[in-house]
This record gives sequence, structure tokens and C-alpha cells, in this order.
Amino acid sequence: MGALLDIIGNEVTYSSAMRFAVLLLFAASGEWVAERAGTLNISVEGMVLAGAFGSAVGYDLTGSTVAAVFVGSVAGFLVSTIQANLSHRLPADQFVVGLTINILVLGLVGFLDNVLEPTVVRASQLTIPVLASFPVIGPALFDQPWPLFLVYPLVPAMWWLVYRTRWGLEVRASGEDPNSADVSGIHVNKRRRQTIYVAGITSGLGGAYLVLGAVGSFADSIVGGRGFIAIAAVIFGGWTLRGSVAGCLLFGAVVSFRLSLPDQGYDGINTEFLSALPYIVTIVGMALFAHRIRPPAALAKPFLRGLN
Amino acid sequence: MAISESASREPQTSQQTSQQWLENEPAVEVVGITKRYGQVAACDSVDLVLRRGQIHGVLGENGAGKSTLMKVLIGLVVPDAGQVIIDGRPSVITDPIDAAAKGIGMVHQHFSVVNALTVWENVALGDQDRLNPQAVRNEIGDLSRHYGLDIEPNAIVGTLTAGLRQRVEIIKCLRRSPRTVILDEPTSVLTPGESEALFEGLRRAVEDEGMAIALVSHKLDEILGATDLVTIMRRGQVVANLPTSQSDAPGLARAMVGRPVSLRSERMLADRPLADRPTQAERAGSKSGLPKPVQKTASLEIRSVYAQGDDGRSLLNGLSLAVNRGEIVGLAGVEGNGQRPLGDLLSSLLPVSQGEVRVDGHPIVCGKAGAMARARISVIPEDRHDSGCVLEMSVAENLFLADPTLVSRRGVVDRRKMMDRAQGLIDRFAISCEGPTAPMWSLSGGNQQRVILAREMAHAPRVLVAAQPTRGLDVGAIEYMSSQLRQAAEEGVAVLLISTELEEILDLASRLIVLSEGRIVGGMDRDQVDIEQLGLMMGGAGT
Amino acid sequence: MTDVVASDPIDALPKEVSAAARGRHLVFGEIVSLYALSIAGALLLSGLLVYLTGGSARAVLGALLDGSILRPGRWGLTLGSAAPMLLVALGTIINSRAGLVNIGQEGQLLLGAAFATYVGVRLGGENIGQVAGFGVLVALLLAGGAGGAMWAAVAGALRFKRGVPEVLSTLLMVTIASNAVGYGLKKDWLLLAPAGDRSNRNQVSEQLAETVRVKRVTVFGNEFPITVFLAIGLAVVVAFALARTVPGFRLRMLGQNAKTAQRAGVDSARYGMAAMLLSGGFAGLAGAVMLAGGDFGNYQLVPGFSVSIGWTGLLVALVAREKASAAILVSFLFAGLRTGSGFLAATGVERKITGVVQALLVLALLIPPAFLYIRERRRALNASKERI
Repeated sequence: MGALLDIIGNEVTYSSAMRFAVLLLFAASGEWVAERAGTLNISVEGMVLAGAFGSAVGYDLTGSTVAAVFVGSVAGFLVSTIQANLSHRLPADQFVVGLTINILVLGLVGFLDNVLEPTVVRASQLTIPVLASFPVIGPALFDQPWPLFLVYPLVPAMWWLVYRTRWGLEVRASGEDPNSADVSGIHVNKRRRQTIYVAGITSGLGGAYLVLGAVGSFADSIVGGRGFIAIAAVIFGGWTLRGSVAGCLLFGAVVSFRLSLPDQGYDGINTEFLSALPYIVTIVGMALFAHRIRPPAALAKPFLRGLN
Repeated sequence: MAISESASREPQTSQQTSQQWLENEPAVEVVGITKRYGQVAACDSVDLVLRRGQIHGVLGENGAGKSTLMKVLIGLVVPDAGQVIIDGRPSVITDPIDAAAKGIGMVHQHFSVVNALTVWENVALGDQDRLNPQAVRNEIGDLSRHYGLDIEPNAIVGTLTAGLRQRVEIIKCLRRSPRTVILDEPTSVLTPGESEALFEGLRRAVEDEGMAIALVSHKLDEILGATDLVTIMRRGQVVANLPTSQSDAPGLARAMVGRPVSLRSERMLADRPLADRPTQAERAGSKSGLPKPVQKTASLEIRSVYAQGDDGRSLLNGLSLAVNRGEIVGLAGVEGNGQRPLGDLLSSLLPVSQGEVRVDGHPIVCGKAGAMARARISVIPEDRHDSGCVLEMSVAENLFLADPTLVSRRGVVDRRKMMDRAQGLIDRFAISCEGPTAPMWSLSGGNQQRVILAREMAHAPRVLVAAQPTRGLDVGAIEYMSSQLRQAAEEGVAVLLISTELEEILDLASRLIVLSEGRIVGGMDRDQVDIEQLGLMMGGAGT
Repeated sequence: MTDVVASDPIDALPKEVSAAARGRHLVFGEIVSLYALSIAGALLLSGLLVYLTGGSARAVLGALLDGSILRPGRWGLTLGSAAPMLLVALGTIINSRAGLVNIGQEGQLLLGAAFATYVGVRLGGENIGQVAGFGVLVALLLAGGAGGAMWAAVAGALRFKRGVPEVLSTLLMVTIASNAVGYGLKKDWLLLAPAGDRSNRNQVSEQLAETVRVKRVTVFGNEFPITVFLAIGLAVVVAFALARTVPGFRLRMLGQNAKTAQRAGVDSARYGMAAMLLSGGFAGLAGAVMLAGGDFGNYQLVPGFSVSIGWTGLLVALVAREKASAAILVSFLFAGLRTGSGFLAATGVERKITGVVQALLVLALLIPPAFLYIRERRRALNASKERI
């Protein structure tokens, strides 16, 4: 209990939780869009890793963190083109493609990392005056490396894109009922490809943030399955953006909680349980609220008529 | 709402003569459209002209080719031959977007609305310009008022009744200001009041805006009441084409189901080889009124069964029927009135909410895997690819789907025994295939049907349910199937023939019952058949 | 109604198209050359990558071949690596045939390994005899299967009782499994070795006793565990069971046409659950085989013990297009890339290139069937356009 109180009162806790949550937010916001269109995009892990490595190389080459973030998002996008075109232009199975991409990116990044050995620094800190001095959570939200601030416009942008634009309407229709969408004149597979590109870009940004914002260096183990946590967050959120954001914040907090416990001298806490917690919570949630938490009806189901 | 040019002309009225109608400008012409599925022609050189300012009825039984023809018009089906001429220009319609761009809209029989979205989102789906929710909602309001189709734009479609969901679809279609609108069985889910409102709206669209409307239906009264011109299709071909004012219900019924009594059936009537014995027994039973007590002679008995679909829609609505040993009971009725659920019920695919099914007096659990088959109810299903066979498996495997233990020893399939037995069945049922190992998909529809028949007959059934057993088959295959059903009855099997083709029922059955809206609405003996009366019952025009 | 003459129907077309779409009239050579082309493309791309980064593609290929089969003793190692992949693939084939998507083999495998470790260590002490040791070995293999099956059963129960898609639950349960095992490796009442046996590592299980290990045989100088024969034997059994037994027949029926199966008395929940149990059981057995076989670590469990064999096995099954016989070959190929990579150090090329080669090969094997499918559709569409 003492541990809990110590941690809840500590500004560092929130800063650290935010750092972990933001990576998830980047990846999950794009993944959410892709899942709303009907793709269970498990290559998000590879996309984040590609983004991370891309940004490391980008920084190494240009010495600019802005350019590095850009290169990171491009790298994520490039990976997404493989997923999108193999599973939604050719009718290859989306899981096989996703798994393979994860292996491909891990191999490629590990290989190239050894060859290129990019060196990175942490991006400069950006402090929003006044807001950053807000007690307890001020520094967590407003005194952070600058790439983190990209997530603030990104999440509402995704919401706007999906709920307020024609494109988003078509995306939702494609994920719920591709046959009806098709009859209404929607290019279902085109929309699905585009959402995967979106996921690639946001995951790439997430990777760039991870390298430039959170860690400040690159290693090929840097992502370590957090792409999958992002997927869990989307499922946890019941395929709503609000829920997904909540999932990211919760899971980010859990991760940072786990990592900060030993530092603060609390060794007795079960860190494995905390690591697994996001997944356990997600599965239990699905089992309990199966009637309410309903996936997009066509999630992970290919739509073949539109392929030609 | 754009008003097309023909609206400026004098409004059309139903008092015009047929000559004047033919002078109306054609909106869409279909020339020689042919579409085959395997060896069966769903459409066989079909010609059709839809003219502006007219509601054109397309009448026919299910399987007559109406739906396929309409799917060609909105680009969901690519025809094998023939062409579509829109406003005088030959056109290829590649997909529904293309069709919409060419001014053709369709209201589908099976809804094409997305249940998870709101009404206005569904209506806006497929637009090209920027999304403007308020404008869409306003347009929906305007259209609702104009056509008398009231709807709440912010409602989630999945929460609406079937009638309202269709309304969404109609509004979505009309909002694009199509020059041609196709309505596929639009009233199958509507109450009489809703139907009436719909037809008033359609009449307004035709008269005020000069639209061409194709009304695909098998309901006689709505064809008579709402159309200017009617085309009747049968077995993929156009069999008649006439102004509605010159037709009447009996005439249409006759044309729809074929010649009143075919030559084949006349012969059947003359010598009646199969039916008399069981018919007498049944007649005695039916006089005691419904529901009947359990009879020793009734092999299959269904007692006031109620069943609902996943969407909560009522599928079977207090259906009761009995079939005796050795008789063929023909279940007539228009498609979509419960034939498929009845078939599913007897295939263990549909659980019931009320009522029971008995075989030889023993109640059978409904909806439990294999329960009906174990009670020796054999089914030749309506859609053989859906629940009749496994296309990826071999002919031999398909022959022993229901009971592989027949050809296995201690859980291992005895291949030689399987092949031998399969070859025996292939020979006996004259199945034309490359052998027992040929994959099921390589067979023609008729031969696939024979495989199913062979399997179902091989299990010494007490009850044989044949649902649309000859649909899509050629003449020879039909003859064969018919003789097999007769033979089964002669051997003492209780045969329930579910068919939308009256001719087939008249040919085979000793007794007819008519299905409407999930229950039996009437019946008559074969030798007392009044074809017009039957047609009217099926068309819902009276009992 | 109109007197327009119908345009000439192109009689041959529809029949030809529909048959071709089924792959019947496709020239065999065309398919082969498509595969050859895309595999060559994958290899070329890999070679190019090596070349551009200053390595020698030829040296890499040589090293891979040397390390996987050519050098003395190497193909034995490859067989040893292939066995668990094959086992995982066999389970995957069973669930795919039943129409279920289990993608959590990695976790099921790890849990199987943990169960096997527990049983093997607790029952088999230092001084256990030959016969008793064999008994323990059998028990640990069974425990491995049970562990994997249990993990998959959770997903199966969620699917059939609560309607949770098994593809999501199996995926999410991978990380739960690895954390559960990580936890077990911290507690000495579970898996953690007593302090004296840990040397300087802090999360490691006790070693299996000599007599509890899988016997290794030597053939032409190649040493491998006899579980290789077990895996191949099981592949034959699975192939036979699916093709020739009544339950296998029913399972395939369920996967290919659930409605027909229901009619014929195949209860989707019962058979589906059985398929999930078998699938997880095979993955768990693979974990036990890795533990007791000696090709993966030192007969002891460590965090990350599964080293992606579960994922690879899943890919093997999918690339083998759900054929047990093909899975034998594909697992050997993938295992070869794994063992071959051990020889890459000598060429100065980073061994992670094998991940790239493997992934590109998988993609190369995915593309031809997908491409053929699309091309037939296009042909049908174009044919209809030409008629105007």
C-alpha cells in the first residue's frame, strides 16, 4: 500500500507512464483505424520497429530530429504497403502476411543495424509554459521531448477522420458490412489498404517517438512486443477511440508501474503479473462483455469480390 | 431532387393505352442477356425494356431469373452474353458505383444497409462529395415528406424494424435521383399499410419525375395494383410481356407457374399409381381438425412450431403439418414464406422456440447436430452448396457424409469399401462423374443433386424432405428426380416435397398444402385441385 | 417486345473461366514457373541486400548450405530443430482444417515446455534409473502436451461459451504465457532451480537428469534426438487421421461446410474444442521435445525458451497449405535457415539476414496462388468488356 501511495503522489510516475502510454497511443490510433475497416493488423509490431529504426537512421544521416521523425513515419508506411497490398490487393491471408512482416522487419532491422550502426540522441525537451507547472500531471503532459506532442493532434485527427469524414464513414462501413458497402459503391479493399497505410504512418511515428523521445538510442529489441499491447488496447477499448486511448493510458501506467517499482525499493511486487495484466484485462473484458464489446462485424474477414 | 426532362411532359396516367406506353422513351434496354451457372442458364437470351414514366412489373417464381437479370443491371453479375443499352448507348456496367453513375439504382431484397451505422450515414454512404451530415439529414426529411416515407435520420439502422430498414434503402436510392430504379421484392417484409405507402410514393416518382421503375415481385396483387406493364419470366426466359390492364390474377398465376396442367401431369392424373391409398388415410385424419392427435400413420408430424431468426424476425409462425407413410405431400407457396426455415428445421439447423417435431410419434430435439438425421429424416436441401454437400470433398466422401461409419471399421474409413459402395451408388443413381474420387465441384448441378439423393436414400429414410429438388436442373435430371421421389413413396417413405414450382407439385404430390408467412394456410387433394385458387392462395390474394 | 437480335453468345467462355478459376485447366508448368520465379525473386532480393551491404551473397548461400546440411553433423542439427516446428505445424493443420484460427502456438509451446520442466525435474531426480527415467520422460512429454492443450482450451472455451474470437484470445495469451513462465522461473517452488544449481543466472530451471533426456542417435555422423522420428511419425498419423479416419473426416467437414456438418451430426463446439485441444497439445508437445531433446539450450528452461519456434511452426503450416506431408519438407527448410545461420559469422554477414531470407521466402510462397486467383477474376471481367 505504501508503494502505491508513494507512486501515486510522484510526478515522475506520471511522466514515465505517459512516456509508455504515448508509444501505445501512436500505434493504437492507427491500428484502431485499420481494425475499424476490418483488418486485424498484427504487423503493427513490425511497423513500429521499422519506424524506430528508420528514425534512427534518419537522425544518423541528417542530424535533425525533425527529419528523423519524418523518415520514421515513411519507414512505417513502407512496411504497411507490404501488408496492405498482399492481404487486400492479392488475397493472401492477413495473419500470415502480418507474422511474416514482423519476422522480416526484425531480421532486416537487426541486419541493417549491424551494418549501419546509427547513433541517435534524444530529441529536445519541449516545455509548455504555465501548463507544465500544473501539479502532479503537468510535467507528464507538457514537459516532454518534442515528438511526444505530435500525439495530441494525432488522436483527435484520427477521431475526426473516422467519424466526421466521408472516408471514415466508408471505412466503418467496410469493417462492419463489406457486402453492403460494396453494393453502395465503396471500394472496400481500397479503403482497407488506406487504413493500413494510416496504421503504418502512425506506428512509424510511434517508433520514432520511442527512439527520439523515450529512449534516446536504438536497439533491435526496442519495441519488444509493445505493438501487440497496442492491439490489446484497441480490443480493450471495444473498438472505440475513447476506449482505446483509455486502454493505452492504463497499459502505459501498468508498464511504467512495473518498471519503477524496483527503483523505488519495492521488490516484492509480481512484475510478470503486471506485464501480463494488459492482456489479462483485455481477455477478461472480452469474455465478460462479449455482448457489448463487439468487434467490427467483418474484422479479419477478407472481402474478395472487390479484388481485381 | 433533380427532375429529369420527361417530367415536363404530360403526366402519364394509367388510363393510357398500351400503344401509348410503348412510345415512352426507353431508359434501359436489355438485349439477349444470358448468364449461366455451370450448365444452368439463370438467364437465357432475355430481352427487357424499361421505359420512362412506367412501373414495369417483372413477375416470376424464384429461380426464374429475375434477380440475376437485375444484378446484371447494377453490375453485380457479369453476363456471359448480351448487352445493356442505357439511354440508347450500349454500356458495360462494371459495378454498383458505375450503375449509379449511369442512373440506375436498386433497392435490394436482402438489405444492403449497414446495421451499425445511423440512418443518415447509410443514406450518405456511397456519395462522392464532402460529408455534410446536416444537409443529408435535411434531404432525408424532404424525401420523407415528398414520398410519404417517414424516418428518423439519427436512428441506428440495426435497431429499426425490417420495414423501416427498407425505407432507409429506398430513400438512399431515391436521393441519388436515379433515372431507373429497380425494386427487388420490396414488399416481402412490409405490412400491407407500409406496402401501400410505398406504392403511392413510387407512383409519384414515376409521374412527377418520369423515372423508370422495375418492380420485381411474385405477388400477383401488387403487380396488378401497382404496375403499368408486366413481364413474366420462367426458367430464365421471358414467357409473356403485356400491359397490366389487360391481365388478371388467374391469367398471371397461370403464366407464372406454367401451363395450368402439363401433359405429364395429365397422364399422372389419369393413372395415379401412387397416391390413392395414403390419401384416403390422410383425408380421414384431416376431417378431425387441427391440431391432430398423434396418428400411427403419420411418419412426420410438425406441431405448431414457432422459430425466430438471429435478427429476431419470425421465420416459422405456428406451422403444423403431417406426412403419412407412402404419400407425397406437396408444400406449395411463394418463396420466402418459410420454405427455407422449414428445410433448416428438418436438417437440425434451426432451433424452435415453441412446438415440436415428431417422427413416428417420437419427439425429436430441434437444432441439435445430427438429431434429425438420426431420426431418419433425409433432406435434399434447397441450396445444395449451403448445407447439402461439401464441394471440396470427393464424390465418395460426399456420399457418406451423414454416416461414415457405414464404410469404416473401428473409426478408420475402409477406402476400398467406400470406393466400392460409392461406385455402386454412382451406378445405381447414374451419377455422371470421373469416378468416386472426383471432387464434388467438378460435377454438374444435376449430378451433385444425384449424389445428395443417393446419400439420403441410402440411409433407409422414414421421411424424405425434398426442397426445390429440381431447381436448376435440366429436363432429364428433373424426370429422374421425380421418378426417384415416386419410388421412395411407393417404398413407404413419407415424402414432403417443398417446391415453388406448382407444376412439379401437381406432377408428384397426392396432397397439396400451401405455405404462407411461416404457416400452412390451406390445402387440397390433388384430384380436387383448382389451379387458379391455388395461384391466388400462393399470391396471398385469398384462401 | 423488341426485335433486336441477341448478340453472339461466346459459348466456350463461361465454362472455361469457371473451370480455370478452379485451377483445373491451368497449365502445370505455368504454376511451377510462377513459384520458381517468385522464389528466385526472394533469393535475389536477399542476395542484393547482402551485396549492397558489402557482403558476398555467394558466401552467404554457401554458409547457409554448409551450416544446415553439408558440413558433418549439421543436418542432424537441422533435423533436431525441425522436429518442434513440425509438431507445431501439425497442430496448426488440425485447427485450420476445422476452420479455427489459432495463432497463439508460441505461448502454448512455452507453457508446454514449462509443464514438462516441472514434471521432468520433480519426478526425475539425479539418481533416477534408466527405466524410471524413461517413464519420467514419457510423463514430461505428456505433461507438455497437456500444458499446451490447457492454454488453447482457455481460448476454445472463450470461443464456444462466450463468443470471443479465438484469433484474438490466442494471440493475446502468448504474452500471458511468457510472463507466467517468467514468474515460474522466479519461484523455487515452481520452476526455479535451487540456488546452488543456478551458476550466475537468476532465472533458470534445474537441468533434466541424464536419464530423463531424449535419447540421441547418430546416423552417418549426424546426431539428433529420436523425437525427430516421433515428429515424423505423428505427421504420418495426423495425415492419416485427417484423411482416413471418421473423426478426421468429420473435422474436415466442419471446416469446409459447417452447416452440412451440423446436419450430419458434427457438433461444432465439441469438434471445435477437440481441434483446439489437439492444436495446443501439439504445440505443448513441441515445447517438451525442445526441452528434452537437447537442440535448444541445455535441457533447462530459461525465459524466452521458445525462441519463436511457435511462430515459425505456424508459418510452416500455412506455407505448407495445411498438408502434413508438405509440412515435413517446409519445416526442414525453415530449420535449415536456422541452423545455417550459425555459420554466417564466418562470412562477416550478420546472422539476422536469415530472418529476412525466411520472411521473403514465405512471401514468395504466398504470392503465386494469390496472383493466380486474381488473374482468373480479371480475365473473366475483361472478357465481358470485350463483348461490347
